Amino acid sequence: MSGVVVGGWGFVWAAYGITAAVLLIYGVSLITRLREERARAAAEGEPR
Amino acid sequence: MTEVSTSKTPYVFLTLGVICLLVGSYVGLFIAPREEYMGDVQRIMYVHVPTAWNWMLAVIFAFGCAIAFLFKSDFKWDARMEAGVEVSVLFALLLCIQGSLWAKPTWGVWWDWDPRLTSVAVLLFASLGILALRKFVEDPLKRAIWSAVATIIASVDLPIVYFSVKWWNSLHQQQSSPQTVSSAFHLPLRVNAFGILFLMIAFIMLRTRVAAMRLRYETSAPPLVAEGELA
Repeated sequence: MSGVVVGGWGFVWAAYGITAAVLLIYGVSLITRLREERARAAAEGEPR
Repeated sequence: MTEVSTSKTPYVFLTLGVICLLVGSYVGLFIAPREEYMGDVQRIMYVHVPTAWNWMLAVIFAFGCAIAFLFKSDFKWDARMEAGVEVSVLFALLLCIQGSLWAKPTWGVWWDWDPRLTSVAVLLFASLGILALRKFVEDPLKRAIWSAVATIIASVDLPIVYFSVKWWNSLHQQQSSPQTVSSAFHLPLRVNAFGILFLMIAFIMLRTRVAAMRLRYETSAPPLVAEGELA
């Protein structure tokens, strides 16, 4: 036991990959929700 | 009731955020030197610490909006608060996942009930509770007041999160500062911090628009009336 962490790239890639995926999915979901709200407002004659 | 902006500003912030994160992550993964004791696993710091900083900013933002709503009774602050709470939940979840992935190879466990992790978990669940409360309360005014009060109460946990590593003998390391982090690690940390900051601003702006449009729909919709009641 040297007290030094060896390897661990799997954890690094997982952290970056999950972060990117979560941010991307949330961003896309926000744009989708905004479009849905705008479509509903347009259908009901509200100002957008 | 609430004006809904249609400016392109959030998309500018989204683009800036993505560019910063790509550059910062590239430097953090491939250019920054390996840390002496933690090796390559320390590279998780370049996403974990910026996420933590911006999560705290999102909580402070939601807290400020809650106070502003209670004083001004303007629903634009309610929409902003909803956005701030939801984005803080997103960042808290990311924080816990990144932290677990860093903890396993360095601490030997995925999770530990140490004061820092526990206080973050408490705030995460409190924020989830606030979002649930907003789903279940139909009256916009009651919903706004109750969730503003709940947001203020939940935010009391934030100083506990921040100072927990100083107040208790915690497994989690103390806050990093430019004095305690090698200058070789500064660039990716700062670039990613700005990247996540820009993304957070974009997310809050877009989510505020969604909340404001729903609010406007709710307050303009006619009340539900049983058949024959109007006759």
